[in-house]
Parts: sequence; C-alpha cells; structure tokens
Amino acid sequence: MGWFDLKIISKHFDVPEAKELSFYEKHGGYEQARRAVRMDPASIHAEVKASNLRGRGGAGFPTGVKWGFVPKDAETVYLVVNADESEPGTFKDRHILFWNPHMLIEGMIIASRSLGVKSAYVYMRGEMLREYPVLQRALDQAYEKGYLGERCFGSDMALDITIYRGAGAYICGEETALLSSLEGGRGWPRLKPPFPAVKGLWGQPTIVNNVETIANLPWILEHGGQAFADLGVGRSGGLRIVSVCGHVNRPGVYELPLTITGRELVDEVCGGVPKGRAVKGIIPGGVSMPLLDERELDVPFEFDALQQDERIREVEVQPGVKFDLGGGRTLRTMAGSGGVVVMDDQTDMVSACWRILHFFADESCGQCTPCREGTGWLTSVVKRIDQGKGRPGDVELTASIADGIAGNTICALGDAAAWPTLAFLTKFRGEFEAKIRSSTFVAQARAAAPEGAPKAEMAAAMAAGVANMEGRVP
Amino acid sequence: MTTKQLSPEIEAHIQQLWPRFPPDNAAKALCIPVLYLAQQQFGMVDDDVVDLVAERLGLPAAHVKGTATFYTMLNKKPVGRYHLQICTNIGCQITGAYEVFDRCKKRLGVGNHGTTEDGTITLSEVECLAACGFGPVAQIAERAKPDIPLYFENLDLERIDAILDALAEGRVPTELGS
Repeated sequence: MGWFDLKIISKHFDVPEAKELSFYEKHGGYEQARRAVRMDPASIHAEVKASNLRGRGGAGFPTGVKWGFVPKDAETVYLVVNADESEPGTFKDRHILFWNPHMLIEGMIIASRSLGVKSAYVYMRGEMLREYPVLQRALDQAYEKGYLGERCFGSDMALDITIYRGAGAYICGEETALLSSLEGGRGWPRLKPPFPAVKGLWGQPTIVNNVETIANLPWILEHGGQAFADLGVGRSGGLRIVSVCGHVNRPGVYELPLTITGRELVDEVCGGVPKGRAVKGIIPGGVSMPLLDERELDVPFEFDALQQDERIREVEVQPGVKFDLGGGRTLRTMAGSGGVVVMDDQTDMVSACWRILHFFADESCGQCTPCREGTGWLTSVVKRIDQGKGRPGDVELTASIADGIAGNTICALGDAAAWPTLAFLTKFRGEFEAKIRSSTFVAQARAAAPEGAPKAEMAAAMAAGVANMEGRVP
Repeated sequence: MTTKQLSPEIEAHIQQLWPRFPPDNAAKALCIPVLYLAQQQFGMVDDDVVDLVAERLGLPAAHVKGTATFYTMLNKKPVGRYHLQICTNIGCQITGAYEVFDRCKKRLGVGNHGTTEDGTITLSEVECLAACGFGPVAQIAERAKPDIPLYFENLDLERIDAILDALAEGRVPTELGS
C-alpha cells in the first residue's frame, strides 16, 4: 500500500456532501456502531488495546490503557470528546468536525458502548463558529434516525450526546481544565491524581479523548485492532493526521503514515518551501513542542522516535547542561498535537519565540505562580531582545526563568511555555546573542564607558546598567 | 436590581439543555451557555447581565462573574456591531499577520480592542483560530448573528482593504470569506 492511498478519516475531506448522514451511510458509515451496540463491551476494549491507538491530542497516551483505568464497578461513566483544538499550528480536528462529523459520532457510540456511558459530551472550542452548526446538524440527523437517544439502533443501549461550547480559553484543552469548564466554572486545571478516568466530571469516572482519537474507532472495529497496529510502527498504531502551516507551498491537513519524516513532509507532501528557500526550523506538534532544526529533519514523526531518536539534540538549560525532565530523563521533542509549523531560512527566530511566549502569557490560567508570573517575564525579556533593547545576560535570564517554570505547575501549560523557549535557545542561541550585541542598551553602555576603556571596564559599565534595573523588566 | 429580562429564546434553550446534565449539576453547567446567549441578546456581559444569569440559574453572582471574566469570548465591555478579529499567532505571524493588523489599526484609527467612533467596528488581535494553514486569518463576529460562519483566510493588504471597504459600507463581505 502506498503512502498516500489509505485514508481512514480524511477520505472525503472537501466533498461538500460528506457531512450528510446519507452520504456517510452510503460509504459504510454507522455499520460498526450498529454492531457495537450489541457487542460485549470488553471485546471492543480488547480491540482498542490491540490497535495501539495513542491519544491524538498531544500526550500520545495509549487509549486502551486510559480506558482501562475506569473502575470496574463504576455506576456512572462519562465520555467527553476534547474538541477544544487551540494549540497554535494545529487545525486538524476542526477539519474532522467540519467534513466528517458522523465519523466522530459513530466513534463516540462505539466508545460509549465499551465504557458503559449514557451521557457523552463534545467540548467544542467556542471560536469554532463554522463547525458547531455542522456537528449539531449531524447529531440531529443521528437522533432522528434513532442512532442516538433512548434505544440506539433499537438496542437496549441509551446514549445522549451534547455539545458544550467553550467561550475562549486555550487552557480548556487541558483535560482537567476542560472538565472544570464543562461543570460551569473557570477553566482551572486540577491536580492529578486522581485522574479523570477515576474521578472526573462531577466526581465520576470520565474518559476524555481527542476528536481524531475517537474518529479512528469505526475503522478499528471494522478491520480489527491488529490491522490498525500494523499500519503503524512500534508501540504506535494507525495513521496520523497532521496539519502543516507556515512556509510551504501546499499547507493543509494530511493523513499520513507515522513513519513520515519532517523532510518528506515538507518536500514531498507539501511541495517544498516557497521562493526556493531552505528550512530553518520545524515545530513538529504544536508550539508547545521543542522545534527541530534543519539537521534534524530525517527523524520519523512518530511518538517514540521524536522523544528518543539521538539525531535530535537534547534541549539544554545552558550550553552543555541538559534540561532535566525529571528522573534524569532528557528532552528532545514530542509529536504533540500534529500541528507542524515550517519556518524558512529568512524567519526571525527571536521574533517567533516571542510570539509563542506572548500566547502562553495570555493563556496562563493564573493558578500557579511560576506559570502566571514566569510566562509574563519570559515574554517581556524575549520581547526586549527582539526589539533590539536586549541586555547582556538576557539569554541566561530567559533560560533561568523557563527552567524555573518547568515541572513546577499543576498542568502542562508551564512546560509548554518553557520547553520551546529552551529549545529556541539551544538551537538558535546565536540569533538571540546577535540581537543583544547590536542592541541600543549595549550601544548606550558603550557610549557611557570612558573613551578607550579596556574591555573589562566596558563590561563593568554594562553590569552596572543591568544592576540598575532593580530586577524590573519594562 | 436590573430590569433586563432573558429572552424567550434563551428560556427555551435552558429548558432544552437542562435535562442533558445531572439534576444537581445542571444549573452550574448552564452558566457558560447562558452567559453566551445573554451576550447575544444584550451585546455584552456586564454586572446587570451577571446578576440576571445568576438569579435565573440560582447561582451566586460571584461565581457567575468569576466565570464570565475568565473567558475571552465573553465581552465585559461593549463591542461594535462587527467584531473584527485578526489572528497574529505563529502560523499567521510568519505569513504577514502583523502587516494586516497594522493596516486595520491605521484605517480604523483604533488600537487593539478599540472600537471605531461610530461604534460599528471593534478590532481585536486574537490567538490561534485553528486555521493556520491559510494564514493570515481573520474572523468577523456580527453581534446579532454570532453563529454565521465568517472566516477570511490567506489575507494580504489587498484583501484586508476589501474587507474594510465592505465593513465601512455596513456589510460583511461574505463573498471573500469561506
């Protein structure tokens, strides 16, 4: 089978009538849900486990294992589909919701049968103005046909699916923040454990799965878990939907084998970089993930490879000192959300880093001090470097703030700001230093130093300038 | 005390959504949907609207206000009839979003989150709209019709000028959208 031949979810993207139930059924849709509602829940779970399906939202956690955390004696279990896609660079779930809403619904029926769910929710990003009516209409069609409601497909299984719309908060894509929001409050993440699978929505066991994860279930049930595992590599089954943006000739949403490399993705799938330029860096899975430079593009975009392949440099806190992920583990990068951002050789990496930090400072929920304060400081310091006002020591200051956030917060947003920052500094440190060398601050310090002063005195004058900041960042 | 009243449409929504949540949790769960609908009715979520929603759902006003102030799509200040939102996040930034945003600021004579003097257009710089492959991207929310799909992709100065021209004529250029 060729690379581009098999499509599990995206086969009918861009076909206008693909959103209609009649079209979906004509192509075999809802047959697996019809089967599933009369199947033994444990056998569905066994297929999902065998499939090596891993969460497509960002963490890549094995779906079958997650489902297994639900206590066996649970009376009420909830399924929540995370459709709060807002990781910059990522726009794949939006496509699934818009072009293939029935596949998501069918997947939800299958998951609900396996987990014993009677009420399921789709937590949909508030800004998805165009996708909401599409999914609501698809749900209405499914209810009308009797696929949802009191007796799904005439069986004794009852299932309601309700769309819950967010109202503008990136943090609600974090599963516990999502649950806080769905309960009707501020989207504040919660400490784990307890994990949602044990104690989630309204204190009940809750499985939160990404849109793409759930949309794979009908195929897994039809072809068997093993077939899905065989499509993948190692401990990762299936294909992957990636969204590619930035400096490529054909940006868009592509369903691809997990073995595809960054270079193949840019050159073969996306038609190369415009204006004949070269790639300077690629963010492999949403802006939370450490970026790759041009020399690291031959690693497959598979979950484990991106974490472990030695061709990818380890992220450092300072030159020669590796960042500690905890327990002595080092950080290369991760597959994340499948949102790929390609940056050409003309891209200003300091500016790109600043814009990413600006986002995290804006979206920090404010609960944990290291993240709330740290993301603001990171933004200020990197902004002044970017604007040509950087000071000697700003690179070290940036790294130290980032290192102070990572691992010290309730949820992963703090890490999501710290990791890419350290990766930018590890791989493009020269660009930050060059901007500082030519900054107005350095020029002023130089002018203030006595004429013909030796280097040591110049350095002292600059250090005095830094000390005069009194720790304040403008 | 406010003299405002939630519209019959909102009441119908509450009745429809209520049974979708466990009885003890429904009122609180409805807080965000009802705030969103109330914003459509009143144009913003001010203290009056907070009180109204709190009273209707039987929730403490402090909870409702705490929730309302957390979410960026709930406007605490009045916005214009058209809310023009330009994404400047990474995918849009590196394809020219700040040029587009600066053109909007200049032509409308407002800063970020500013509203034109005639109250028609509010301009906001927003975070990722999940359309990164087609950047720079803008979204226009029309106050009375918040759910009408109005996305504008692959913007450049020419296209944003055409959008601003249409808004100046008091219409949304749907022909340019997707």
